[in-house]
Amino acid sequence: MKKVLTLTALILLLAASSALAQLGATTGTTTMSVAVVAEAGLTVNTSTTTLTETGANFSPYTGTTSLTYYIRTTPSTGGGNIQLEVTTDFAPTGGPSLGSPPTGTDALKYTCTVSSPGTACTGSQTSSKTAQTPVGTFGAGANSAFAGNSASVAWSLTNDPLYKVATYTATVTFTISAT
Amino acid sequence: MSDQGTSAAHRCSLRFQYRERCARLSGLGSVSGAVSLNMVGWLIKRLVFLVAWAALLLAPMRLQAATLTTTQTLQAVISPLGGLFSFPNSVTLTKSGTTFSNYTGSLSIQYRARTTQSTGSGSITVKATADFTPTGGPSIATPPSTGDALQYTCSGPTLGTSCSGTQTVSTSAATNVVTLSASECTGGGGSCSSVSPNTVTLNFTLTDDPQYKTGSYSATLTFTISAT
Repeated sequence: MKKVLTLTALILLLAASSALAQLGATTGTTTMSVAVVAEAGLTVNTSTTTLTETGANFSPYTGTTSLTYYIRTTPSTGGGNIQLEVTTDFAPTGGPSLGSPPTGTDALKYTCTVSSPGTACTGSQTSSKTAQTPVGTFGAGANSAFAGNSASVAWSLTNDPLYKVATYTATVTFTISAT
Repeated sequence: MSDQGTSAAHRCSLRFQYRERCARLSGLGSVSGAVSLNMVGWLIKRLVFLVAWAALLLAPMRLQAATLTTTQTLQAVISPLGGLFSFPNSVTLTKSGTTFSNYTGSLSIQYRARTTQSTGSGSITVKATADFTPTGGPSIATPPSTGDALQYTCSGPTLGTSCSGTQTVSTSAATNVVTLSASECTGGGGSCSSVSPNTVTLNFTLTDDPQYKTGSYSATLTFTISAT
């Protein structure tokens, strides 16, 4: 008799459980997770930077390229940097050139400005078409603002009398990285 | 019970059987004085049993012979209700786009509901009952930058009306996922939905703010369904 009662109770419990399962619950929860990793992005605000001569004759051509950077580096162990490289030399030929300048001292140089949390490159840097050169660096745990932070590169191109009169164009590629 | 009409052979047989019975019970071969009284009692019991058995056999015939009409009122109280069924215990937001593009993820909810005709209504809502932890990353209540948000859109509810536009998840108030109007019900077709359970999909986006520290963060979302 006891066994029968126990079995009956068990069946009723299972039936009740099944009924609840059919009915569902009025609330339910879910855990939402996200893995935030090191990341970096860059916007070149000055799509075309025109170098102009503003001083005395044959003074360097100058101009400024404005950047906005976004960065997140790993605390303790991370870091990052902004670099640039002239990926396409001046064209057409006959004017300034990084690969084969008419005079050996001709150069496209620049100085850097990078707002915190970045650190600007030091002194005057000479751009290259074969290697990346520094613009700024970031330490561990660096976070830019949601709207990004500012940086800029001030260019100075030798005004060599040997340059033929014309308009010359080169392409500079900026790269930002973070770990 | 009378012995009239019972043959001598039968009587002998009865007596003999009863004697045998008494012998088995008492272990004595001669109990003739008590035998006849006991035999009568035994026969009475047997007759009662036979009468009862016959009554049982004849009972259906009696029932067939009479027509009994009765009515009974069956009343089912159908109440408005809503239930949430299986949906993922966890949702992982990921990103595959450009740098600092939003994290995205989706979640499907299964539900059943019934609302009162003419006057009923219902809803499914969501609320962040636990903000992202640990601190330093995304936060619904205290984001590091203005504009950071966990948002969602709703698509394809098979019962009810989808939330409108982009909704922002809150830790202090529930926000709409599905709105149920009067006379809506799950399954069966007709005026109810053709599918059971019903489903709705939420597509989440979370701002990827550079201010977030690297790490893994999690929050708890609670969905609630109600119906009247």
